[in-house]
Amino acid sequence: MLSLIFSAALAAQTTAPLAVVKEQLTIEFAPRTPEQMASFYEARGFPETMRDILKKQCFITVGITNTSQQKIWLNLADWKFSVNGQAIKREHREQWKQRWQAMDIPLRYQSTFRWTLIPETLDYLPGEHEGGNLVLPFSKGKITLDATFATGDNKQGEPIHIHYDQLYCAEDAQ
Amino acid sequence: MKSHILKAAQGLAMLSALLLILLSGGAVAKESALPFGIREYDIGQAPNFELADIDGEMFNLESTRGRWVFLHFWASWCGPCREEMPTIQALSENIDEDKLHFVLVNAAEDEDTIFKFLGIVAPNLTSMMDMDGQITEIWKPRGLPTTFLIDPEGRVRYQAVGGRDWHEKVYTEFIKSLLTY
Repeated sequence: MLSLIFSAALAAQTTAPLAVVKEQLTIEFAPRTPEQMASFYEARGFPETMRDILKKQCFITVGITNTSQQKIWLNLADWKFSVNGQAIKREHREQWKQRWQAMDIPLRYQSTFRWTLIPETLDYLPGEHEGGNLVLPFSKGKITLDATFATGDNKQGEPIHIHYDQLYCAEDAQ
Repeated sequence: MKSHILKAAQGLAMLSALLLILLSGGAVAKESALPFGIREYDIGQAPNFELADIDGEMFNLESTRGRWVFLHFWASWCGPCREEMPTIQALSENIDEDKLHFVLVNAAEDEDTIFKFLGIVAPNLTSMMDMDGQITEIWKPRGLPTTFLIDPEGRVRYQAVGGRDWHEKVYTEFIKSLLTY
């Protein structure tokens, strides 16, 4: 959960950020190239077997700010991704955990990887900013995101719907 | 019958008094009155752990009973951690250590990384090394950095997520207000 991980190393290499600005929240997206992510994880000592898998993924750093006066709830299960109308399946952090365990990856790297992910669920207080990396299967073309956020202390408020069709997977420079 | 009613009334009065004491005796701060980014977080007793610091000294969380604890989870790759750490050092230099114990826990990095980072960013602080990240997993901070404030009885009371300037007056005064209890 790198809620907050906008690491200096990554920030320095960021491509132009994309954003959704609504009255109640702002979501910023920064697609990361495979080379950026490989460098980040290599610098943290991640084994090559792990990096080889990560290099093939699509990393997008997401930062969400609650600009409303009520609580907003993130639940990645309510985020749907598609390319040309075809759904893209995002792997849950538990699936990543199982994969690393099956590969016998040292716990410290498993842990660091998890910290760099955006939380599956999180409540945002007014003014709060949190984020992390979203990991999708790599795909060409624009990615469409349809997301819903519950609002209010008991999630009983008016939900916020997001439709954004400008996401993409960053590629290494040729 | 009359005596039963009297006993019941006395019991009720005692219960009310006890509740009042409990409510006023703890580190009570209403969520709305808390400084930005600090939440009430009453999860009960703090899960204990034992870790070595960067000098190899073993530390056990339970050894801090009787003092408030500033338990801070961080990593060198986390941008806000880098910004926040010097402010933690500044706070620690302005707080009575007999009342507030600062415990930093690095999440899953090696000794060299921690040593270099602190040497540059906050040379007066030391950190525990959660080298395999499993203590951090147990504590489940919402993100990095995250700070938990634990009361002298070992009960987790507050959580502060994300970086902030702990040396700012609003945070310093909040911390000092806890220590008066």
